[in-house]
Amino acid sequence: MRFSTKVWRVRTVSNEVLIIGGGIAGIQSSLDLADMGIKVHLVEKLPSIGGKMAQLDKTFPTNDCAI
Amino acid sequence: MLDVGRHPNINLMAYSEVQKVEGSIGAFKVTVRKKARYVEEDKCTGCGACEEKCPTVVPDAFNEELGTRKAIYAYFAQGIPSTRTIDPDHCRQLNGKKCGICKKTCQADAINFDQKDQIVELDVAAIIVAAGYDVFDPSRIPEYRYREIANVVTAIEFERLLSASGPTDGHVYRPSDIAARAKIEQLEKTLNKTTKALKRYEEKFGEASEDFYKKFQNGQFSDDEERKKWASRYEEYLGISGPLQELKKQAEGFSSAKRLAFIQCVGSRDFRFYPFCSGYCCMHSIKEAIIAHEHEPETTSAIFGMDIRAVGKGFEEYKIRGGNQSGITYVRGRVAEIMEGTNHNPIVIYEDTRERKVKSQEFDMVILATACAPTKGLPDLAKVLGIELDDYGFVKTNPVSPVDTTVPGIYVCGCAESPMDVPESVAQASSAAERAAEVISLQSLNKESAVA
Repeated sequence: MRFSTKVWRVRTVSNEVLIIGGGIAGIQSSLDLADMGIKVHLVEKLPSIGGKMAQLDKTFPTNDCAI
Repeated sequence: MLDVGRHPNINLMAYSEVQKVEGSIGAFKVTVRKKARYVEEDKCTGCGACEEKCPTVVPDAFNEELGTRKAIYAYFAQGIPSTRTIDPDHCRQLNGKKCGICKKTCQADAINFDQKDQIVELDVAAIIVAAGYDVFDPSRIPEYRYREIANVVTAIEFERLLSASGPTDGHVYRPSDIAARAKIEQLEKTLNKTTKALKRYEEKFGEASEDFYKKFQNGQFSDDEERKKWASRYEEYLGISGPLQELKKQAEGFSSAKRLAFIQCVGSRDFRFYPFCSGYCCMHSIKEAIIAHEHEPETTSAIFGMDIRAVGKGFEEYKIRGGNQSGITYVRGRVAEIMEGTNHNPIVIYEDTRERKVKSQEFDMVILATACAPTKGLPDLAKVLGIELDDYGFVKTNPVSPVDTTVPGIYVCGCAESPMDVPESVAQASSAAERAAEVISLQSLNKESAVA
């Protein structure tokens, strides 16, 4: 089922991506893009990346270490 | 995390904020402010010698203020980048006082008090918003008495108490006991100082302080200024040593928390605050109860909730395992109030909806499963990016294109979009990365992109 189609007329000056936030979501996005060969700028407000997940001791449901 | 720090395609800008965004899909012009760390990133080796010597002690935000850090600090031990940062609000040198101990200690010569904020301009084709969430502040619910009763904590605070790298090295000590221990330490320090001063007087006058004080009380030496000072010092000593002994006696009876209560839906599914379900709280309460039981096998937990929403791969099994093996009781009922009993024990008053009775039960500690609230900076960030937010303050998306914001070329993932757990965040992050990559691969082709 098709809800909508968008036509992009993109004339680009860049092939880099900006990611705002260095938590688990930001980290995963940057690694995925970087592994595709795309240059990524990861901006984090705090002194270190890791976000809320770095504060966790273990993760459910496997009790794996979060860091 | 380590991979991000050393990946050749990732330019990591920590301690930075996005200030301005112009342009449109394929050609955004972004201004980023890199805040001054007062430590040169390329010179700092991360040895931590400065941190050891820094005289200023500050509550640690990473440990939810249950522990302390210095004014020059690493946000957490394994943090990437490992560069230390100087906190400009607390550093003595930056607040005009004489210090600079870290600069003298640093062998790499990395400390630079004159560092200024840097403005960096970037040209990017796409932007991904992964701004995360904030923990709901439960002090907005007066009946739970968070911050009034020391042993009522949030789930993330409890997580730090459970963590081996946390402020208690993984022992589940109660915050009231931690505070008492800190008080003992502080009193001991003052007592040591006073004892030293008393010793000086004793040597000078060749008399024990106790004997002298008796004579002084009988009216002797009332015109001697120095002996008056001695007497006031001795009074100070008596004023500290009494309460210190009492506190020490109490501290002998301290043990780790063994009776835990978890209260679900604190701020979420509550029409006064957030009507939505935060999704992951049921599971993290079960997880924390299981881990507390692993640390201390005598631990028993009660989870108070309207229902336990264990929706996800392996979640239901985890819940049942917790009940069978980790001493968890699931109580169906919403907690009406938390009161303080003897020995700082919280008393939970609730309605057991199965028995249709109002009951009360005493615990060592109460853990609040706080809601997932939109992060405070999100409205400002949305203004900068020109994206819309939904009614609750999360980034607005379309159900059939859940990572697309209202601006083409700007994507969202993780808890900035809606509350979600780690696996969902990771899945959505990969999805947003793919959408961003699409912009770059489609731009030269000017192709049509189909949605759903």
